[in-house]
Amino acid sequence: MPSEEFKEMQDALEAGNATVVRTLTEKALERGVDPQVILNEGLIPAMGRVGEKFKRNEVYVPEVLVAARAMYAGLDVLRPLLAKSGAKRAGKMVIGTVKGDLHDIGKNLVRMMFEGAGFEVVDLGTDVSEKRFVEAVRSENPDFLGMSALLTTTMPAMKTTIDALKEAGLRESVKVLVGGAPITHRYARDIGADGYAPDASSAVDLAKELLGQASSSAAS
Amino acid sequence: MRRPVAGMRQEKLIDLVRRSPQRLVFPLMGYPGARLTGSTLRQNGFNAELHFMSICKLVERFSPDAAFFMMDLSLEAGALGLPVRYPINESPTVEEHPVKSLADLDQFKVLDPLNDARIRSFIRVMELMSKNLDIPRGGYVTGPFTLAGLMMGASELAMATIIDSGLVHGVLEFSLGVCKRYARALAEAGADIVAILEPTAAFLSDGAFRTFCGPYIRHLIEDMDPMMVLHICGNTSHLVKEMCKTGAQGLSLDAPVDFPSIAGDVDPDVVLIGNIDPVGIMVQGTPHDVRRAVKDLIDGMASHQNFILSTGCDLPLETPFENIEAFMEEGRRCVRVCDGHATLDPAMMA
Ligand code: B12
Repeated sequence: MPSEEFKEMQDALEAGNATVVRTLTEKALERGVDPQVILNEGLIPAMGRVGEKFKRNEVYVPEVLVAARAMYAGLDVLRPLLAKSGAKRAGKMVIGTVKGDLHDIGKNLVRMMFEGAGFEVVDLGTDVSEKRFVEAVRSENPDFLGMSALLTTTMPAMKTTIDALKEAGLRESVKVLVGGAPITHRYARDIGADGYAPDASSAVDLAKELLGQASSSAAS
Repeated sequence: MRRPVAGMRQEKLIDLVRRSPQRLVFPLMGYPGARLTGSTLRQNGFNAELHFMSICKLVERFSPDAAFFMMDLSLEAGALGLPVRYPINESPTVEEHPVKSLADLDQFKVLDPLNDARIRSFIRVMELMSKNLDIPRGGYVTGPFTLAGLMMGASELAMATIIDSGLVHGVLEFSLGVCKRYARALAEAGADIVAILEPTAAFLSDGAFRTFCGPYIRHLIEDMDPMMVLHICGNTSHLVKEMCKTGAQGLSLDAPVDFPSIAGDVDPDVVLIGNIDPVGIMVQGTPHDVRRAVKDLIDGMASHQNFILSTGCDLPLETPFENIEAFMEEGRRCVRVCDGHATLDPAMMA
């Protein structure tokens, strides 16, 4: 049954039609569909497809942002129910653009793709100091810390933040992901980050992979 | 080789290029000049005489074929009263983007941006350049779409292009007015070239560019005296055809664009300006890397006359001087070759 209904919801999401996504989400709930199912089989795959299209230059930044807004319209309806049912989130992330840097479009896309993939995300905004990153890691206890930098002059703040995490004794408690146009795999490795991704949807794949590793090593 | 620039206004950028026996070479550089005057970027941003001296020293040291003042995307927004932060040695940045509705524009409509002290300072720099430099003198103006992004927030503007185009056009109408007023003042101050900086348009599709950016650029360019250039950073390969329709005499494009492969899309009367990587090569590379990148680019563009060797974007403050030297030297070594023939002007050889 759900696939047809979800198709309409998904088309609306991809087209960025927030009202339709909200209405269809509410209707699905009225018919007794599990909120977790709506999220996992309705919203998440659609947002994932938008991310893939963006990666292939089939859609551009405005289309992705508007699709994400439609996704939030559905998510807002589901959120209280998911919280009540104690449904398991895919994971938790704290994200921000580093100190001195005000570029936020890429960071916003990463946040949205993570939320779209079922993660809980705490967004610290732009121009985030080492201290604020460390405090957020301490108080939120996330699986991931995401840092974005678009300027060569602000890239070093990623390293100083990682150092500050070490100093605070928090480095082992969180996986650090970095990204932004000037960042490379190599740079990520050099500064001791756990991962780098060139775009938002690869970032989600990477996070899932890292979570998988963590749980399998915990099990063994 | 210096030549008087009087009467140049009637001339187009492509004429300048064709008239020169060699490739024209000028990096987009302003910031590194502060190191030559022992000053900070913030000081230059507030002090016209100092700013002019920094540019002068760059011209003396590197003899580029054109000189530009320092890039500053916060100038117009700051003149409208938006909060701007001025770091000591980085570019100033706009910190808040308060426009959410057309009504929010009213508070700005009563302002004349030309009354702002920093705008005045930049106009003064242009005057000083125009009086004292004998190469083409260039200034920058923030593009209407980018200024709209600074007023509304870039992500909000991006979304509004899809869900509230009325708001976007309203803000663009207003920002166009501001850009025009400042560009005219630069023209009156003696600018030979005005480059419109439109980085925020880089994330638009070609269709959205056609609706929300191109027409406003065309208006801005219309009946402006100086040679008008359009600069967009980032990978803009998908926008080149649209950019050509704006009437810009030159397109200044960033390092991710492959010049040889897009050159065919560009009208031979429109000059391609670029596009050595300002950071990856000019800051982080060695002089050897610079020479190789310059040579590759010049070779790749050998069959295109409408080309000026430049950088993909503004050179950062810390760009090593030996890299700028290598850039100029390697660029100058190459006599222009067009369609297999050296097109040296016989008058010049006499
Ligand atoms: C739009 C833009 C602006 C807008 C920003 C609007 C905003 N609110 O974000 C404005 C006009 C304000 C601006 C200002 C400046 N900019 Co700017 N800007 C750009 C531009 C054209 C596009 C950036 C963008 O949004 N891209 C689209 C997004 C979707 O891509 P993205 O950010 O790379 O994100 C993707 C990936 O990188 C990744 N990702 C991003 N973050 C993260 C984080 C994690 C954890 C992971 C895993 C992945 C990830 O996923 C994203 C989605 O797929 C770039 C050009 C370029 N080549 O990138 C220049 C650019 C970044 N800017 C530049 C400069 C120099 C500046 C200024 C200093 C300009 C000046 N001279 O005044 C100021 C600085 C302001 C400041 N202090 O931050 C330079 C930086 C040079 C350098 N290497 O240091 C660039 C590269 C242009 C250039 N060629 O010179 N800019």
